[in-house]
Amino acid sequence: MIPTVAPAPADADQTGSTTAAGAPAPGAGRAALARFSRHRLFSSPGAVAGLFWLAVLVVASLTAPLWLPFKTEDQDFTAVLSGPTPAHWLGTDELGRDILSRIFAAAAGTLGTSLITVIVGVGLGTILAMLAAGAGERTEAVISRVTEIMMSLPGTVIILAVIGAVGTNIPVVMAILGILMSAGIYRVILGQAKSLQSQLYVDAAKVDGTSPLGISLRHVLPGLANTIVVQAALIFAVGMLIQAGLAFIGFGPPIPQPSWGGMIQGASQHVYDAPWMMVPTGAVLALTVLSANAIGNALGKAPNAPAPHLPSAAARRQRAKAVAAIAAAPGLPGGDAAKGTLSVRNLSVGVDSTGTGNGVRLVTDVSFDVQPGTVLGLVGESGCGKTMTALSLLGLLPSGVSVTGGQILWNGRNLGATTEKDMEAVRGREIALISQEPMRALDPMFTIGYQLTATIRRLRGMGKAEARAEALNLLEKVGIVDAARILKTYPHQISGGMAQRVAIALALSGRPKLLVADEPTTALDVTVQAEILSLLRTLVKDTGMSVVMVTHDLGVVADICDHVAVMYAGQVVENGKTAAILDNPRHPYTLALLAADPHANHAENMPERLATINGQVPQPKDWPTGCRFAARCQFAGSACLEPVPLLPSGAGEGLVRCVKADQLAVEGMDWLATDIPAARRLEVTPKQDHIVEKDLA
Amino acid sequence: MALFITKRLLMALATVLVVAVLAFLLVHAMPGSPGAVSLGAGASQEAIDEVNQRLGWNDPLVTQFITWLGSAVQGDLGVSLIDGRSVSADLASRLPVTASLAAGATLLSAVLGIALGVTAAVRGGLLDQAIGGFVGLLVALPAFWVGVIFVYLFAVQSSLFPATGYVPFEVSPQDWMLSLALPVITLAVGGAAFIARQTRASMLEALQQEHIRTLRATATPTWKILYVHALRYASLPIVAGIALQFIGLFGGSVIAEQLFAMPGLGQAVQSSVSTHDAPAVQGVVVIATVVVVAVNLVLELATKFLDPKLRAS
Repeated sequence: MIPTVAPAPADADQTGSTTAAGAPAPGAGRAALARFSRHRLFSSPGAVAGLFWLAVLVVASLTAPLWLPFKTEDQDFTAVLSGPTPAHWLGTDELGRDILSRIFAAAAGTLGTSLITVIVGVGLGTILAMLAAGAGERTEAVISRVTEIMMSLPGTVIILAVIGAVGTNIPVVMAILGILMSAGIYRVILGQAKSLQSQLYVDAAKVDGTSPLGISLRHVLPGLANTIVVQAALIFAVGMLIQAGLAFIGFGPPIPQPSWGGMIQGASQHVYDAPWMMVPTGAVLALTVLSANAIGNALGKAPNAPAPHLPSAAARRQRAKAVAAIAAAPGLPGGDAAKGTLSVRNLSVGVDSTGTGNGVRLVTDVSFDVQPGTVLGLVGESGCGKTMTALSLLGLLPSGVSVTGGQILWNGRNLGATTEKDMEAVRGREIALISQEPMRALDPMFTIGYQLTATIRRLRGMGKAEARAEALNLLEKVGIVDAARILKTYPHQISGGMAQRVAIALALSGRPKLLVADEPTTALDVTVQAEILSLLRTLVKDTGMSVVMVTHDLGVVADICDHVAVMYAGQVVENGKTAAILDNPRHPYTLALLAADPHANHAENMPERLATINGQVPQPKDWPTGCRFAARCQFAGSACLEPVPLLPSGAGEGLVRCVKADQLAVEGMDWLATDIPAARRLEVTPKQDHIVEKDLA
Repeated sequence: MALFITKRLLMALATVLVVAVLAFLLVHAMPGSPGAVSLGAGASQEAIDEVNQRLGWNDPLVTQFITWLGSAVQGDLGVSLIDGRSVSADLASRLPVTASLAAGATLLSAVLGIALGVTAAVRGGLLDQAIGGFVGLLVALPAFWVGVIFVYLFAVQSSLFPATGYVPFEVSPQDWMLSLALPVITLAVGGAAFIARQTRASMLEALQQEHIRTLRATATPTWKILYVHALRYASLPIVAGIALQFIGLFGGSVIAEQLFAMPGLGQAVQSSVSTHDAPAVQGVVVIATVVVVAVNLVLELATKFLDPKLRAS
């Protein structure tokens, strides 16, 4: 297996926390606090407008006595219930009081008391969440139960009962509202607090003897900063609405004192004779709530939501346009149209440059052929574009990623320029997919029987009973003994190996000619891996279908592949017959992979330590114009700074992308297990501060 | 599953009990003794003491609570201090009003919210942004203000609906519907926006699941992926969101009942709190909690039933 030099972090945190997964050291948490997604706030026009409005409101209401044209109690009997006039810009109420003056006079109280709800609610919710996350399961269970009860209470009714007991003491009422709302905030924060508590640096701090309180304050709280601010903004909005609502039903500040809810209540009495009256106050209240929400939503936006596997209608339309453009462009001459032959020519895949995309290339100039009944292995580390290449064969690239050039010739037809509708005729029936995580590949909400029979009926046009018989037949074919029972189960009720067999049966249900297998054994344990591989080998032999096998396991390649294409940083760096490449590798990357593989070294000549490859696969945006492997290569020289073509390697029909391949072959050099000698290191500064990438799929 | 239901039932019972204690304590913290409240200003101290003695106001709190609980379990929530009517009977006549209001608003919110949320998630692009903006606006609009505007538009400008009042279903089903229309729509505006957001987020999450790719790889038609598989996956959080919304709307009916002069529970809370009518406040808090907890329990069990993992265990 290929050693991952810098282990990629488990894909643990997708919840939109900016610091939980990436923070390498305790200090990072503090830095995160300082710069809590300021850019997200200011990149949203709504949030900027909201901040502006809130600032204006606060300043205007605090300075109200200095500039307001009227006192809140001034009654102008010459202009009762008037609309906007030069004297009363926003009109007057039933006693001739100036609405503009009353709105701004009431603002400070409304905003201030809503802040009480925010402080109590968010404060209590955060403390409870940190307590539950830090103090172990039992405490968490108790707190969670209590908050569950709090959330299932009719809050408004309880607040009214509280008002009955304490009177319309608004600060107290708003504080109790905060307590009631803390349950919801606790729920939001708990998950993130738990994930922060389980970070390695928190464990390290525990070992160092930092007190639980110290850990919570120093390591957990900073990571929660953004979520806390988001919740605060949203609760602020809710607090204002509820407070105004209470004033509306008569539980506001004592009578002459203006409040927004009370003013709207007054206006509702005059909806027949002075409908204008309800407009200004309601609009100001709505605008203020809208502002707080806009700020909260802008901050709370998940920075990198995973792309949907089914793009939205708008995205599909866009892709259809792109496909039409490719199809209209004068293409390269089609390859040989032999039935069941796949031939990928100069394929490029990239992130779309429209919308939020940055146009980064993920796969460039990839070519390979797959003859009927043969198995091609695509090998390389994570982040080399293997999965993208594989998914492009079915037109299943994730949203925002598409084929940007080259051809995918299947039976002589370019699948890269085929409409979604036409691809539906190819998928399942001609080209099928099995993926890495069998458990996640099956729909958890439906029985295996339903998923299998529905697919068979669709792809083979069979009736219900016939499809069921075929489902049983397929399950037996993939080595499941009690097929009838498995049909009745849900995916979560079977093991991973069993699920992968089901997934293979599902892939076979349309009798495909080509199977694209994206690391089909990676998630399985070793004995099951061997079984699945032997099943695939049997299927190839029995059905004559061909397979494109994505893997990072050279053992799998040796085991099942006829041909192999080694990929590095979006390119094929070497390809050819499996035997030729494993016995006589030409590209330094292939050499390195083999030197690093414990299984490739025989027991008698097993080196003292396995070789490693320094650094990591560069991010697509950092690919150099020259050899993309040069920065990590033991043999790199100045010639490697120029773009390198893919040339015949001299071993059979194999190709290699290395200017030094011949020299290395002649000199018989090996990839060394030691660190790179300084003399042989090329002056290309490797990026040290890389965020460790994960496979884009 | 049976264990799960038992656990949830016990928890619901505990919730109601906690609220009963809470309501009891709150009511005792109210200013004025029952005697003073029921006899009004100008009553002699002896008369007040006599009433308090008769109502057991001077007994230890625990004794009072147990007495109250004992009769509450039998359906007797005491007598109003203001008009001497049975609290249970009064609430029984009010419950259908609030129930129709909350149920109607929840239903309308769910239908509109799911439609908007699914459309936003599925269509994407400009339509998604437009719906997002619209929903963001609806969330920010205060229900009582929206209600006033609706009254102006539909009752004052065009008399499509009655502005206020409630017609019981038994009297005239058609007028019942008309009298509910404006309050239900008023409450549903915010509710629909909330459910639309929840639905959009859940649908997008469902579409990010890997099994969606498997479905595409086996040539499943797009409509089926969206409306059978993704919606089914998203249904769990959506139903949970609807349950949460019902709680909010049940409480929110206080405002709608006030605005539209509907004789429901909300109006009872509002007036009994204003008049310090202790037994009425206590009764309405407990009844509202029972209803909300019961509906919540049913929806929660529905959610669990939707999840094969929990159904099987």
